[in-house]
Amino acid sequence: MSISESKQGFFAEPGRDGKRPLLTISGLSAYYGELRALYDLEFQVMPGELLAIIGANGAGKSTMLKSMVGMMNRGKTAHITGTIDMRGRRLERLTTEKIVDAGVTMVPEGRRLFPRLTVEENLLTGAYLARCREKMNDNLEGIYDMFPRLAERRKQVVNLMSGGEQQMVAIGRALMSEPKVVLFDELSLGLAPAVVDGIYEKVKQINAAGVTCIVIEQDMKRALRVSNHVLVLLEGAVVLEGNPNNLDQDQVTAAYFGSDNERTGI
Amino acid sequence: MTSEEFNVELYWSAIEIANGLLTGSVIGGYYAMISIGLAMTFGVMRLVNLAHGDFIIVGAYISVVLLNFLPISPFFTLIIVVPIMFCIGYFLQRVLLNHVSVQAMERKGLSSNYGLMAPILVTFGLGIFISHLLLGIFDSDARQLTNSLAFSAIRLSDDLNISLLRFIFFGIGIVILIVLHLYLNKTHAGRAIRAASDDADISPLMGINTAHVYGIALGISMAIAGAAGVMIGMIRTFQPFDGPQFLLIAFGAVIIGGLGSVVGSLVGGILLGITQVLAGTYFGPSAQLVGGYMLILFVLAFKPTGLFSR
Repeated sequence: MSISESKQGFFAEPGRDGKRPLLTISGLSAYYGELRALYDLEFQVMPGELLAIIGANGAGKSTMLKSMVGMMNRGKTAHITGTIDMRGRRLERLTTEKIVDAGVTMVPEGRRLFPRLTVEENLLTGAYLARCREKMNDNLEGIYDMFPRLAERRKQVVNLMSGGEQQMVAIGRALMSEPKVVLFDELSLGLAPAVVDGIYEKVKQINAAGVTCIVIEQDMKRALRVSNHVLVLLEGAVVLEGNPNNLDQDQVTAAYFGSDNERTGI
Repeated sequence: MTSEEFNVELYWSAIEIANGLLTGSVIGGYYAMISIGLAMTFGVMRLVNLAHGDFIIVGAYISVVLLNFLPISPFFTLIIVVPIMFCIGYFLQRVLLNHVSVQAMERKGLSSNYGLMAPILVTFGLGIFISHLLLGIFDSDARQLTNSLAFSAIRLSDDLNISLLRFIFFGIGIVILIVLHLYLNKTHAGRAIRAASDDADISPLMGINTAHVYGIALGISMAIAGAAGVMIGMIRTFQPFDGPQFLLIAFGAVIIGGLGSVVGSLVGGILLGITQVLAGTYFGPSAQLVGGYMLILFVLAFKPTGLFSR
């Protein structure tokens, strides 16, 4: 049984009202040493939704995702306060590997593949957790079905591959841990537009299979088009939130730049 | 000069070269065992373990202790020495070295440069501590792990022999390297070690606990070092302060072969062994070490990343 079959149609109609949130983030602040990067974020993530996070450079998008997978728990270098609740489990208290075990994983910015490992070895490291090993081979075949290009190159070392192919490996590697929630950090960074379209097709496919997806996207129009909920971050705080169908472009632009017409964030 | 005399001369130089190649290769097998652990800890956690040689000697002394109680061949002490050394390595990493690593220094808000320097100083001190501890327990007498095979040789021709023990150790060394290679490439734990070696910041996203993986890596390094120690003890005598000379051999093989490849360590070890034996044959015993160091210098000068580096 592949990933896509196992969770097909689990949440056909994503929405917020009347649904129990999968993740509840409250009072989330993040600090790099003395420098504060996030200010008391409050938001909820509904099961099965595709949440897009937009904001200018330095708005705190990546920091937010890193906070959610325990990668901001670095002693004096970086830390967070507040709570991240996943149906009763307090993720902010867990280490990254425990959070991944709980079902939240991230496709990191810049792919961050293991450069000296082959495509297949990179994918298999994603199934390191004991709970992922039983269905490892089925999941691997599922990923090769989703990205046939990777099946052709399974023995190739990844640092010789194109950016788009590397992004496929990074996504596949995250899926090997059988996640409930996948955070995608800057999916389209450094990729050709045509390649980005293809990657987003796959994200929608993963989301349709019931996996909750949170995407950081620089391209505002694309973010509004693909997602079913949008968060706009500005200087470390949520300034706008809503269903993209109910938000108009000017409203989002204003929130993105922090004022009606003037560009301030760049 | 008659033709018969000429042939005798040719025969002997051929024997000398063949002997150098054979003995050198066989010695290289155990040089590889000495060096693979050092290469692995550097490759995985950027740890230059200056106590590596001392741990080899520790392995030999554990065998000495066991032989006091058990009337068995030193070969069988490997069954106990290897797990003990693995545990020492694992706990050393978890209890001591993980707290001075690059990541630990970062958590304390210090520059990562401290994380590169501190483990070197810690293992340097550890080496001194271990050798004095051994001196305190066992005195400075030279010990040997006596065994029935010490003087046996394999006769290849009238004038060409190789030590049976060294040949056996060469075989064991090859087997260990193959097993290690398969472990690193075919198992979940092995892939986790390689992943952590490539990118320690991201490997937790795969569910990998890097502290545990580092412990396993040093455990394996120590286990192989301990096995090498037992073999060294069966071939020659050893004393508490012999560690650093094995550390130098290990560095030599790693420099020649290049970091991060099991094959590199083997070839590096064999080249070093052959060079030493041939230098000893042609320029006298004192030239053995010089010859080896010359090779290391040449490699450093012309291919500083090692012959097999990727």
